[in-house]
Amino acid sequence: MRAIGSSLPRGDAVGKVVGATPYSGDLSMPGMLHAVTLFARRPHARILALDLGEAGRVPGVVCILTAADVPHNRFGLNVPDQPVLCGPGDDEHASRVRFVGDKVAVVVAETVEAAERARALIRVEYEALPVVPNPVAARQTGAPVLHAAHPDNVLLHYRVRKGDTLAGFAQADVVVEGEYSVGGQEHAFLQPEAGLAWLDEEGRVAVACAGQWAHEEQEQIAHALRLPDERVRVIHPAIGGAFGGREDISVQIVLALAAQKTGRPVKMVWTREESIIGHHKRHPMTYRCRTGATRDGRLVAAEVELVSDCGAYASTSTKVLGNATIMAVGPYDIPHVSIDAYTVYTNNVPSGAFRGFGAPQSHFAAESQMNKLAAALGMDPVELRLKNALRDGSLQVTQAPMPAGVSMDHVIEQCAESIGWRRTAQGWQRPAAAQPDSPWLRRGIGFAAAFKNIGFSFGYREHCWATVEIHGGGDIDRVVVRCAGSDVGQGAHLAFQQIAAEALGIEAEKVEIVSADTATTPGSSGSASASRMTFMAGNAIRGAAEKALAMWRDEEDRPVIATYEFNPPATTPMDDMGRSTPNFTYGYVAEAVEAEIDTETGEVRVRRVVCADDVGRAVNPQQVTGQIEGAVVQAQGWATIENFVQRDGLVLTPHLSTYLIPTVRDIPDRVDSIIVEVPDPLGPFGARGMAEMPFIPFAPALTAALHDATGVWFDHLPLTPVRVLETLDEQA
Amino acid sequence: MKSFELYDATSVQEAVALLSKFGPTSKVVAGGSDLVTGIMKDWVRGKGMPYPEKLIDITTIPEMVGIKVANNALTVGAATTLSSIVDSADIKKTWPILSQSAESVASPLIRNFATLGGNINQRPRCWFFRGENFACYKKGGDFCFAVTGDNRYHAIIGGELCYIVHPSDTATALLALNAKATIAGPSGQREVPFDTYFTGPREDVLRENLLKHDELLVNVTVPQPAANTRMAFFKLKDRQVYDFALCSVAAVFTEENGVWKDGRVVLGGVSPVPYRAKVVEEALAGKNIKQAAKDAAGRIRTVARPMSLNGYKVDIAVGLIERVLTSALV
Repeated sequence: MRAIGSSLPRGDAVGKVVGATPYSGDLSMPGMLHAVTLFARRPHARILALDLGEAGRVPGVVCILTAADVPHNRFGLNVPDQPVLCGPGDDEHASRVRFVGDKVAVVVAETVEAAERARALIRVEYEALPVVPNPVAARQTGAPVLHAAHPDNVLLHYRVRKGDTLAGFAQADVVVEGEYSVGGQEHAFLQPEAGLAWLDEEGRVAVACAGQWAHEEQEQIAHALRLPDERVRVIHPAIGGAFGGREDISVQIVLALAAQKTGRPVKMVWTREESIIGHHKRHPMTYRCRTGATRDGRLVAAEVELVSDCGAYASTSTKVLGNATIMAVGPYDIPHVSIDAYTVYTNNVPSGAFRGFGAPQSHFAAESQMNKLAAALGMDPVELRLKNALRDGSLQVTQAPMPAGVSMDHVIEQCAESIGWRRTAQGWQRPAAAQPDSPWLRRGIGFAAAFKNIGFSFGYREHCWATVEIHGGGDIDRVVVRCAGSDVGQGAHLAFQQIAAEALGIEAEKVEIVSADTATTPGSSGSASASRMTFMAGNAIRGAAEKALAMWRDEEDRPVIATYEFNPPATTPMDDMGRSTPNFTYGYVAEAVEAEIDTETGEVRVRRVVCADDVGRAVNPQQVTGQIEGAVVQAQGWATIENFVQRDGLVLTPHLSTYLIPTVRDIPDRVDSIIVEVPDPLGPFGARGMAEMPFIPFAPALTAALHDATGVWFDHLPLTPVRVLETLDEQA
Repeated sequence: MKSFELYDATSVQEAVALLSKFGPTSKVVAGGSDLVTGIMKDWVRGKGMPYPEKLIDITTIPEMVGIKVANNALTVGAATTLSSIVDSADIKKTWPILSQSAESVASPLIRNFATLGGNINQRPRCWFFRGENFACYKKGGDFCFAVTGDNRYHAIIGGELCYIVHPSDTATALLALNAKATIAGPSGQREVPFDTYFTGPREDVLRENLLKHDELLVNVTVPQPAANTRMAFFKLKDRQVYDFALCSVAAVFTEENGVWKDGRVVLGGVSPVPYRAKVVEEALAGKNIKQAAKDAAGRIRTVARPMSLNGYKVDIAVGLIERVLTSALV
């Protein structure tokens, strides 16, 4: 039996289901201390003074960490603009809190109760500063400056000029204009942030935590503690979901600092509310779009201005902006394009990585434009898409050709056919939704498509390490794969196992994975993000396995050990016209949604979703289906009920009772996962990344369905009853 | 969360005595699903709302737990879980909207320990009231942040000073069913109809009902519905389950040949108290319900005073009233 393409069961399934698997919050050590964080809980203020006197006298308190204890008080995944701890002092940057989740102190004590008691007794004197509530206010003259390096509060502006949009629009017979806005989203992973830090047997500061990229966390901890990287060890035990929400540092640095300071193991577990105010969200964005086409449905020009709310700190906002920029006109070949994209500092909770990474926002705008254009042209939306879909060699908005293996038209056709689109002599034709017998219920069917990069973009030196050890005599008894890549719950380690087994021609059960510990997997694998882990680690493992297998055949020594670093083709950053080779490969997806709307209550019910996702090669079809279904549900939450509400930088929805995520009663009645397998020429055994893709086209497919049902366009997310009813009212 | 002292009361008298002895920092607790894991965990407190230090458990009082049907009336102890109410065949048969309203609360897990009394007396969900950064009237502060802030979930009827909506689903049904509350206090027990049980912000902004700090709800009595009684309940939420009402409607009425004789239409989620829509009832009096429902429902517009962002709730209320009246006839 081939290892690849089999739905082998997950080795971690039973332990997780019965509750036996230890997550970082479950770890304990003898002599362990407990830490709690004092969050600022105000959006913008200067800290004038900090009085720890009374707090320090609480019995059981061992130490209280403040800004003064942090050797290098800055961190950040792309831009180190965030203080580890905010506090009074000479450092103007760290003396200010810029969002509710900024941290002021960490209390370390013998018990959680003592730490909490002491935290309540810390006296902080704040001087309230005017709050920057949104990007519009942030860009007004005279707005408070949040970071001295960016006096206009604009962290980054990307400018893309492809062709000549004036000339392009002059050729257009039909021009569609639209304004769109989308909200933030909380990751709501099952396991809130938690970690345990200690000094290990080699005197290193070790941190066991839930993250997405052990080596990056190691580097950021070392940077803040002014230690050489090798004096810091990061271990990821079982991880309770991530979705991008663990890309940024949460508890890691302060725990390392506490362990270093006390010499004892220190544990910290955030509450759900701390998690919701403490880590970044999906970027809320606004769009203004113009799209022009000729009467026969050829796209000729597009203009987009997009603004993303970066929040208080950069996090991954610059990278998300890059993605949002190159996807701002969707997966189409348009000769004349002009895009201006801005990410702007505010006093909101920082925005950062979240499944799709700028693609869902941009595709909502771009695909809504396509659906409106189809309506304006009197053309079927599938027909219009197929006329303009990116193909091998098409020029991206960055003027670089698409990498080989583009399957956009293929997934569009498969998806459309599966939900009942018909090819007729006049072209593709949308099926009519069967209408229920009710005065207030209406049904419709909508369509959208998307593409998304796999791996890191814009000149980042993408790479991934793996080591394969083959044990045995004449036959292979056992294989150990060392690869740092984290299994955040997506099943990466099973994919590693299957890929190694395939490369070695053995059963997957013989493969053991050692991972996500910087001490035992010394080479970086990069982050479990950007739909890249199967692709990157798969290639590294395949490379190492093939190398090891050659040694196994040629050499006498046992075991054989081979290490391999995979380097995909290089990418480049955008220049001032947006010219670049942004990515080395993409994934392609199309979705059709059948939805029902209650025009009196504003309720939206998703009856059926068909998702055709080109995964190149399904390493484990069951896991692929799980990713598709999970992404669809998560996207439905973002599009309909998930509503992260901030008022002047304060979070009004800090609980899962107010920030509503879908339950089993809210999710689609049916999801058809269509696994398309057009091999990626660069992928391991043809596999592409796929974890983000099914999220991306859902929202515009849903609003297209609602338009089919009601004749009304829904251009602003989320579609809570209030939004739905107001939109129906406005367009009535 | 701060630690607290817990007292297991064994009788109603003992619970009242403990409340009297300890004063305003003591509270009655049953399931604790909101008091402990909501109010206390989230440190909801203010000048007029001290943080509870002593909790008096009433689930240990036998007479406060259970469902009894006698003399054509239903009596439910305040410490009876919502699950028991949902599971009761008697309630489902004779008072189905009480069963449905209880089943519309939270999740099965929470209903297993949340109680009827707790549901009726729970504190509002207003995000300013619950938020630590807002010293609002209801906590003894001097402002209602909903007036100038995001008020999409706030009151459209009867708000003044404070614009919360009453969060209880069972209260909506009980008021429609013309139920009575038995209240115990230092001077003994008394019965109060739910018509007068709930109090608006003008009477006392610090509470939502007439219970004084040393009083507690002992049980609820629901009369047997008259012959030809029709009833229906519907609750609209942002999420299908495990959410509070954007608007709920409970209707209980008697009819003859489709003509309204007498009854009640009560709305939840729209007003600081469960709101009896008398304008709707009056518009139905003596009329064919099916024909008059739409017009009667629309009468709610004459009493609604929506805020800046919650006008949509008026439309929802109109639609739901009509649907509930119609569905009760089926």
